[in-house]
Amino acid sequence: MRKMGILVLCLAVAVGFSSMAAAKTLKIGTLSPLTGPYAQDGTDILQGVKTAVAVFQKAGGIPGYKIEVIPGDSACDGGKATMAANNLINQGVNGVVGAYCSSATIPSSVPLNEANIIQITPASTHTDVTARGFKQIFRMCPRDDVQAWSTVKFLEDGLKVKTLALIDDRQTYTVGLTENITKFVNEDKKIKIVALEHITPGDKDFTAVLTKLKKLNPDAIYMGVYQPEGSLMVRQAKALGIKATLLSEDAVYHPKFIEVGGKAAEGTFLTYAKAPDTPERRNFEKTYKKMWNAQAIGSYGYYAYDSAMVFMEAVKKAGTTDTNKVAATIRDNTWNGVSGKIKFDEKGDRKLAHIIWIVKDGKFVPYWDPMTEKYF
Amino acid sequence: MDTSSFLVQQLINALFLGSIYALIALGYTMVYGIIELINFAHGELFTAGAFIGLIVLAALQKYGFVQTHFVLTLFLVFGMAMAYVGVLGVAIEHVAYKPLRNASRLAAILSALGMSIFLSNGMMLSQGVSDRAYPALFGLKGITIIGARITYGQVFIIILSLLLMVALNMFVNWTKLGKAMRATAQNQVMARMLGINIDRTIRVTFIIGPALGAAAGVMVGMYYGSVRFDMGFIYMIKAFAAAILGGIGSIPGAVLGGMIIGGVEVAWSAFLPSAWKDVTTFIVLILVLYFKPSGILGEDVSETRV
Amino acid sequence: MIDLALKNVSKRFGGLLAVDKLDVEVPKGKILSLIGPNGAGKTTVFNMITGVYPPSEGTISYQGKKLNNLRSNRIIRHGIARTFQNIRLFKSMTVLENVQVGMHCRTKSGAFRALLNTPFAIREEKEIIEKSMETLEFLGLADHHNEYASNLAYGDQRRLEIARAVATRPEMLLLDEPAAGMNPSETAELMDLILKLRDTGLTIFLVEHDMRLVMGISEMVVVLDHGHKIAQGEPKEIQQNEKVIEAYLGTKVKAKA
Repeated sequence: MRKMGILVLCLAVAVGFSSMAAAKTLKIGTLSPLTGPYAQDGTDILQGVKTAVAVFQKAGGIPGYKIEVIPGDSACDGGKATMAANNLINQGVNGVVGAYCSSATIPSSVPLNEANIIQITPASTHTDVTARGFKQIFRMCPRDDVQAWSTVKFLEDGLKVKTLALIDDRQTYTVGLTENITKFVNEDKKIKIVALEHITPGDKDFTAVLTKLKKLNPDAIYMGVYQPEGSLMVRQAKALGIKATLLSEDAVYHPKFIEVGGKAAEGTFLTYAKAPDTPERRNFEKTYKKMWNAQAIGSYGYYAYDSAMVFMEAVKKAGTTDTNKVAATIRDNTWNGVSGKIKFDEKGDRKLAHIIWIVKDGKFVPYWDPMTEKYF
Repeated sequence: MDTSSFLVQQLINALFLGSIYALIALGYTMVYGIIELINFAHGELFTAGAFIGLIVLAALQKYGFVQTHFVLTLFLVFGMAMAYVGVLGVAIEHVAYKPLRNASRLAAILSALGMSIFLSNGMMLSQGVSDRAYPALFGLKGITIIGARITYGQVFIIILSLLLMVALNMFVNWTKLGKAMRATAQNQVMARMLGINIDRTIRVTFIIGPALGAAAGVMVGMYYGSVRFDMGFIYMIKAFAAAILGGIGSIPGAVLGGMIIGGVEVAWSAFLPSAWKDVTTFIVLILVLYFKPSGILGEDVSETRV
Repeated sequence: MIDLALKNVSKRFGGLLAVDKLDVEVPKGKILSLIGPNGAGKTTVFNMITGVYPPSEGTISYQGKKLNNLRSNRIIRHGIARTFQNIRLFKSMTVLENVQVGMHCRTKSGAFRALLNTPFAIREEKEIIEKSMETLEFLGLADHHNEYASNLAYGDQRRLEIARAVATRPEMLLLDEPAAGMNPSETAELMDLILKLRDTGLTIFLVEHDMRLVMGISEMVVVLDHGHKIAQGEPKEIQQNEKVIEAYLGTKVKAKA
């Protein structure tokens, strides 16, 4: 097995070099769930990358290079993501945007690290993604503990709740969030956690768990889930007559949450990074909507666009596809992205804070800033 | 919320979940009863029902029909979904199962799995990969009984599913065709010898089972507010377990099994750590099958067949 | 007048010739018995007549119409009903329901109407129940009509099989070893029953091992051995036939006709 792996790797590297030398094509691979429950976000990521390539090439591209996007399906599954990553390596990609679920990103980053290929994840927030000393991995979205910090700050100083119940769906990403929230809350000792409940992704009925929480009557319920379950959960909570404040995170920050959640989504708080309204951002939104015939853009569309853009700009600036030089270029510069200013630290994490949003009249509206403790 | 209202609320939750599992389980049990095949495509037929309901409902809503003819809307949505999926069920039987009726059991099971994948991908391509929002018909209004809350939508769904189960029971026990169906299930050769058209009886089974699944699909869409191409999978697993638990082939068994699975799931989440919820279904299944291998109401299937 | 005619009928299962060029004619309104040692091909003959499988060669005709390639559910409509050697009741149905299923091939309302429970179908269903009860009355099973078939005594299960076959309103009844497993008094009752059925105008075609029954009620006997017809005639002639005695080897033919 191990020998096979090495053989495949050698072949991959060989193929990679030969294709680079011959065609001068910059190949960008993507890893995101194109099938399964998170196919919506996964598709947003692929479309974000393709939009970036289109915008970049329209602006001149890199002279002498063709740019090609090779999609990979990570299916939010470690095994499938690793297979997809190996497949991308075999096809000689220069950089990879992905994956989506932390539980897919972490395993798939191992072969990418061994093959020394740049990887920028637009979505995986688990601390471990960048905590393993890999030099060629970057994270475009904010980390779990950053998001958990914003959440706890809002609960303590914004809402001033006394009791809190947590729900997660036992996936790497959401467990990372509830664990960090528990840690911060226990450090500050201002809030009492009355329950930690778990649900199964793909389930539709959470009434039993929600009824249990209704009985405990916490001031706030934190939903560490993804958008499909988030929509269902707010509906069922309202149907059961639960009065607690509902909070969630960036995986639920998607137009679909409001579309499916309907009236029940109103008043839900979410943590999500806020980006300044720039001409680049508006141009991106216009191009994306036109290219994909979309009404709205999922949050990972923005991060995926920035991930691909930073990679291409760095290759252009470095004047080479050599991974070590490109990685250094990415790390040493500040980039202008559609999700705000982009500056990576030594580990590859981006300095980016979340703000608190609220669903109001069928829209996500900025509500509170944990850095300044001010309302918008 | 005091303990009694907590218990009543959980009971409502269980009844609601159980009725939906039961409706889907009926489709498995009927098809198995008559041709001894696990129709793995049943979960996809359930999803197809939800999509047809969505399409009809969206169209009616566009023309303001829902507000003016509420009852008729419900009738149309359920009727069209059940009719379409009934026809789809017969088509599947004709294309994927009938040619294999005398082949090995394994071939038929593979064909069923293939059909399931085919339908699932078909729906993914035609209806998209993401959640589709179901137009809200009932909203969040409801009534409160002893401190427990039940929405009008839930009341309607529980009543409708009970009605469908009673209707099925009457059909199977009291009508000519229902008796023909039971006779075919018990002894196909003898049933044919008595003049029963086996092909037609099987076709009718493949209308009714999938149509009930479609009704459950519309209910799920209506109540939970969203449908997605792959939502049939989890329901398939639960309903399949329900059918086995109640004794596959037994119609009252499927209803009982559905209610038990719904009840156990809710009870576990209500009183024990919710992290282990999913294994409960199967623990109960294993325990029951250990003591009564044919399921709770299942019959010993050692009867000779020619 | 001949009701059922088998002409030159053969059946092969792979290399095995189960029935060889058999000619049998069953006269209307009579009782004809087909006898022979185990494995002689008697049940094979019944299976070919009732469409379980087609004959390899020859023709089977009923009242002048060829039956060869019809399936069982068509053949019953021509008026031929049968029972099986091993009891094949619908065990988890009641006695009444078993008979009702038998009657269904004679009723009109189709699948769609039955599904919608139209007034016509409901009225028809009532008639079915009445007629089924009459049939049970005739067979002496009316008291048990609400019991599950599997709960009946053995002799009653046998009679219910006949009742279900009679409910299809046949003109000809094929009985495959109806007395198997019965005690002498039950067999005597069965003989009375068969004669009673014959008297209503039914043609009876019987396969049976119990010689007392065969010789007691048959008007014609056909003897089969290894797929060949070795003798045919009235019971008395058969009892004295050398070939028949030989075929049964040591088996002493007990006849008290």
